[in-house]
Amino acid sequence: MVSSEWQVVWACFASRLAVSYLFPSLQQQLDRTVEFSTPVTSYRSLQEGAYLLLHNLPIYDGGVVHHVPLLVALMAFVQQAEFLMPVLFAAMDTLIAYQLMQIAKIYQRQLQIPSYIPGVVYAVNPLVLLSCVSQSTCLFVNLSISTSLLFALSRQFSLSAICIALAGYLSPYAYLLLIPLAGICGSNSFGLVVKCTLVSIVLQLISFKLNNDNWNYLTSTYWILITFSKIRPNLGLWWYFFIEMFEFFIPFFKSVFNIFVVSFIPPFTIRFNQQSFYAFVLCLGWITLTKSYPTLGDGGFFLSFIPFFKPIFGYLRYPVISTLLFIHAIILSPIFYYLWIGLGSGNSNFFYAISLVYALAISSVIVDLTWAMLRIEYDSGKPNLSLKLTQI
Amino acid sequence: MALVEKLHRRIISIGLIPKFISKLSQLSLLCCVIGLGWLVFMLPSDGQFRRTYISENALLPSQAYSYFRESEWNILRGYRTQLDLFQYVSTTHDSNAEVSKWLQEFGVKTAIYDDEQYGETLYGIFHAPRGDGTEAMVIAAPWYNENREYNTGGAALAISLVRFFSRWPVWSKNIIIVLSEDPKASLRSWVTAYHTSLDLTGGSIESAIVLDYPGTSDRFDYMEIHYDGLNGETPNLDLVNVAVHIAEHEGIKVSLHGLPFSELDRNDYNSRLKTMLLGIKDSVLSGIKNCYGNEAFSGWRIQSLTLKAKGIDGPHDITTFGRVPEALSRSVNNLLEKFHQSFFFYLLLAPRYFISIGTYLATAVAVSVAFVFAALNQILNNKYGELPLLSIYNIWSILTFCISLVFAFATSQLFVYFPLPRVLLGLSGIFSVLPLLSRTRLRIQEPFSYRFKAFAYIYMAIVLTSLLVLNFSLAIVMGLLAFPMTRTTTIIESNLRLSIKNLVLLIISNPFIATWAVVNFVEPRLSGFKVFYALIEASQQLGCWTWYIICLGWYPSWLLVTYASIDAIEVQTPIKKE
Repeated sequence: MVSSEWQVVWACFASRLAVSYLFPSLQQQLDRTVEFSTPVTSYRSLQEGAYLLLHNLPIYDGGVVHHVPLLVALMAFVQQAEFLMPVLFAAMDTLIAYQLMQIAKIYQRQLQIPSYIPGVVYAVNPLVLLSCVSQSTCLFVNLSISTSLLFALSRQFSLSAICIALAGYLSPYAYLLLIPLAGICGSNSFGLVVKCTLVSIVLQLISFKLNNDNWNYLTSTYWILITFSKIRPNLGLWWYFFIEMFEFFIPFFKSVFNIFVVSFIPPFTIRFNQQSFYAFVLCLGWITLTKSYPTLGDGGFFLSFIPFFKPIFGYLRYPVISTLLFIHAIILSPIFYYLWIGLGSGNSNFFYAISLVYALAISSVIVDLTWAMLRIEYDSGKPNLSLKLTQI
Repeated sequence: MALVEKLHRRIISIGLIPKFISKLSQLSLLCCVIGLGWLVFMLPSDGQFRRTYISENALLPSQAYSYFRESEWNILRGYRTQLDLFQYVSTTHDSNAEVSKWLQEFGVKTAIYDDEQYGETLYGIFHAPRGDGTEAMVIAAPWYNENREYNTGGAALAISLVRFFSRWPVWSKNIIIVLSEDPKASLRSWVTAYHTSLDLTGGSIESAIVLDYPGTSDRFDYMEIHYDGLNGETPNLDLVNVAVHIAEHEGIKVSLHGLPFSELDRNDYNSRLKTMLLGIKDSVLSGIKNCYGNEAFSGWRIQSLTLKAKGIDGPHDITTFGRVPEALSRSVNNLLEKFHQSFFFYLLLAPRYFISIGTYLATAVAVSVAFVFAALNQILNNKYGELPLLSIYNIWSILTFCISLVFAFATSQLFVYFPLPRVLLGLSGIFSVLPLLSRTRLRIQEPFSYRFKAFAYIYMAIVLTSLLVLNFSLAIVMGLLAFPMTRTTTIIESNLRLSIKNLVLLIISNPFIATWAVVNFVEPRLSGFKVFYALIEASQQLGCWTWYIICLGWYPSWLLVTYASIDAIEVQTPIKKE
């Protein structure tokens, strides 16, 4: 490994640790914000789950814990050394940065950028940094996804299957990534799906055993994602619809939203099956846009893959607009939330408007990248920036 | 899609985008002019504003007959005579003890909140006969008003009103009477204590009415209503409407923002413009200038306003003044839910005319967009526009921006401990002159000059956008005052005329110099350097953010632009052609 990559790794690790230990109250403050914490990723509810487990109380009866049993068990195991939690999270985050640099190495020839650049981008991305400091459990999912991707790209499909199964176990949306991942694996995709299924079954059985031979954890961990039964404001598109809707419309719209998440995954995979890695990233972006409980940590993770699109940067039509949208959404969302919840002078429309701006920012990035991918395909891989094309 | 497609092709074919980019500098100026023009010429014109209306039907202002009349006159006078005596012969502590006895006589539970720094506050709670005691209305009367006059009439009114209320069985919200030392820090500290530490409380406060009736006169001319809260907050427009409605129903003329009596009947463009601009001034300086008392309730979801009696020999009687808070309390008492949402953003042009947020927000948005255009102009309209994202120039610019942010923060903190306005203004002046003095000696690379400015303007635009709905008045005033900095030019070949132009622009857009000059111009009571002390005091005593917004939102950008105004030297950059 090149020394500059080591520097990035250490800088990433040190920055996370420094922020966590210099501002010890920051973790709890971030965990209370709607931008970085949702019922399904909150560290507080994970602690609650660990407490219940250690005292032999039913974990999922109270409707507070929405984390899978293995994660709760892990948390209960390490809770004795709670002061080391920032180290664990910083290490996981650094591992993602390292894996991004490894992926960059695989694509070194096409990318024409030093392989440490994606690592640097990940390390300085404030969304990822704050998400890591808030100890949101979406970090576990992100790590599993990036590990699975790295293994798939380095053609170790069994390990990749295990990791994506783990990611899917933690957050079922990751199972959707199995589709673009199968695109990466090509002819090995059948084996990938079978192995992933087997590992998932094993994980569920272990969870079943851990949860005192009770399946009730399925409702509070997975079913809640599909039914959005815990209505909390977040940066996603879902919550606003279900706070003021007539009862009899709710099942219909819930199914529409769920179909919406799935609908674009196969098209991306099929259309870009020649550039399956990029299809994977686009699918990741799509899930970030449409999932029921998104956080800024998810958005930051998706944006960390942007440097891999370096060869097609010239084709992007409105990167400035997307950047400004992101900046404004991220800065205005706490302000509008404060106007609504704190001052009472705004109402929920204000915050939802900002979550729409955030969704617009993500979707404009996805649309722009898709356009750029199609453009470079039109130019048969040799950029011809002077040619002007419009969409018909 | 076909229409969009056609439009897109058309835009490409007539080359609108390159034209647009080349004219960015002028467009930025245009946006600012549009913003200012919209504010000054459009908003007060006919058709832009609406007549106020009561949005919440349950309020029913003045629908019930008001009974605070002759029967209460002697009681009110009795209290007033006693209180008038107290101001000469007893301390606040003793008079609080005496008044507390009076209140207990008719069943009000009293307690005294003692703040070591800001004095004692007496408050009493009359429990609602028909409510569950979870909501309350406040009637407050500071012993001294904002001019340090003894608030004899106001305090006597508050006490006799509560006595009068206590005989009625209609109340569904607790009534809290608050008698604090002054309308500023001590009232604010009571409000904070009420929500954090007090033992005797009466539920969440829905509304607060501050009574200000200085002196012992029986008669008054007209009534002033003050409603500007801290940090750009305003009470729900319904409360202001109800107060105006009731006062005019009683035949009292209402004045907003201290408009003199002679101008109350006017309703033309000029009078509306004057009221609107005074409103913006009062909103920006709320908490910094003299406090009327309603500011103290900001930030706790309390709708508050101050009723102030003006004049001493008018046609109206002190019990007429008392009927306004009476009917206001009756109206608020009718509320089953909260005040209507989204009725918090308005500019009043007259007591009965308002502009809603959709109409006036565009002005501040235009000013904010002007900064965005100015930033894009610095990036796109020079030969360094093609620099890669991670070039050394961008990274250094971000770093310099962080340094200026830290410097600005240090300045804001240091000034709190060492309030030396002369040093602050002198330093600002020296910084402004530096680029001119160092013309031949000190030089920076040209791309830095453009990038620094780009980052400064983008930051300013973001600050203004985030202030838009929090504190509209501050956003528009700050945007307009800071705008001259975007007209500075990057000087490559030494040019005295341009350097002097830059110097002038920098001086007038400096946050401290501009604040000082403008406040001296519009608010005689904050003349000289008082404004800086008042800013610090407001942030410490009331929790007003304005000082920090000026320091952290405006100053860093100005520092960057000043740095960028140092004469530049051209740099040969290897522009990659792909």
